[in-house]
Amino acid sequence: MEDFKQKFHDTFITDDRWKYLVEGLENTLIITLFAALLGIVIGFAVAIVRSTHDRTGKLKILNLVSRVYLTVIRGTPMVVQLMIMYFVIFATLHAKYKIYVAILSFGINSGAYVAEIVRSGIMSIDNGQFEAGSSLGLSYPRTMFYVIMPQAFKNVLPALANEVIVLLKETSVAGYIGMEDLTKKGDIIRGATYEAYLPLLAVALIYLIMVMILTWLVSKLERRLRRNDRR
Amino acid sequence: MTDAKQQPKDGDVLIRVEDLSKNFANLKVLKGINTTISRGEKVVIIGPSGSGKSTFLRCLNRLERATSGKIIVDGEDILAMRERDVNCVRQKMGMVFQHFNLFGHLTIRKNITLAPVKLKLMTQQEADEKASELLEKVGLYDKADAYPSQLSGGQKQRIAIARSLAMDPEIMLFDEPTSALDPEMVGEVLELMKELADSGMTMVVVTHEMGFAKEVASRVMFMDDGNIIEEAPPQEFFDNPKNSRTKLFLSRIL
Repeated sequence: MEDFKQKFHDTFITDDRWKYLVEGLENTLIITLFAALLGIVIGFAVAIVRSTHDRTGKLKILNLVSRVYLTVIRGTPMVVQLMIMYFVIFATLHAKYKIYVAILSFGINSGAYVAEIVRSGIMSIDNGQFEAGSSLGLSYPRTMFYVIMPQAFKNVLPALANEVIVLLKETSVAGYIGMEDLTKKGDIIRGATYEAYLPLLAVALIYLIMVMILTWLVSKLERRLRRNDRR
Repeated sequence: MTDAKQQPKDGDVLIRVEDLSKNFANLKVLKGINTTISRGEKVVIIGPSGSGKSTFLRCLNRLERATSGKIIVDGEDILAMRERDVNCVRQKMGMVFQHFNLFGHLTIRKNITLAPVKLKLMTQQEADEKASELLEKVGLYDKADAYPSQLSGGQKQRIAIARSLAMDPEIMLFDEPTSALDPEMVGEVLELMKELADSGMTMVVVTHEMGFAKEVASRVMFMDDGNIIEEAPPQEFFDNPKNSRTKLFLSRIL
């Protein structure tokens, strides 16, 4: 017991090491938040391009670009994409901007998965909804925006939430480009104390708590959106 | 839209269909349809399933794109129109579907006001007033803030009719409006359609309700195998059909 107390003190208290974890958490949250936003923007855009092409045959070139994007991003590992982005594409960029590279990289990656989620949501909407919109004189974009997307969004919300959770955990590879996120900071503590068990447990626990909070928030939102399905 | 100096009157041709054909891949669904629909007419289209009657109806507002032929509305062929112009034509052509197609994420009131407001034809307030008026008319005023999933099939279809009417259409197209309803709900929808017919609305109705055809139609159109086989006022059509296929069809269903 005394031994544990000592280890705990070394890991979290000495040199204010707990602050490492707070800083790391901050970076993890920043990357996750902005990458998720970027991913959602890209994902919705790509999904709309793809389903518009499938339905109307228009947007041929954009559709082709989208398909290449989906194939490349979903066909290569996240860590590799991150490293290519940082060490090749933005090789000349100053290291202090690496968080932007991380956000960009994770956002582009997440966008590919969001796109397929949203597209499946659009496809799940009955064709009659498009026809009803058209028959009232609403243009295709208006029907998409006011009729289809709100319903598709509701249908895919659980899957989107899941994607954000995956993204949050996936940012743990940001250490590969020297980004000091939560995982990396835990690792720094481990390197300083030669004690692996406590910092890793703490890092895991923090991820778990964040995921639980996210899950709770989403279930609240879902209940709000489901309100009009109740009989 | 018609301006004041040229009042629309019954008998004006609203839609002229010329040699309309529609193919799905190798399947010929419509084989050269010719007809006109005039203001104030109530055309009821009947025929066996697969005869092309629903496809014909859906071609009239270009939900289905015909392969060849012409559909002249207000002097313009809608088959040759750009999408944007077709949308304008559709604003004046209401359509009621077999499966209602109400917007599930919106309240009944919003279902009715969405199109007029988003198309900037009315303010939200004007549209809300119009919606109240229409809900009163279809007898569902108390459902204004309900969602479609809370309504019965018959109620949904009455709302779908109200939603179309909110656009002040010149003509209403009905695609088997009672086919998806439980038998006890058919009556309320047909009743509303009769009222609409009595108010002078131009209507084209695809249906299997022969009673409705007899009572409301000004012209019954019998379609089979992608052609119009026979067109006549209901009494003549039902009492004295001329074509052998019409006779066969009527003998099977009556």
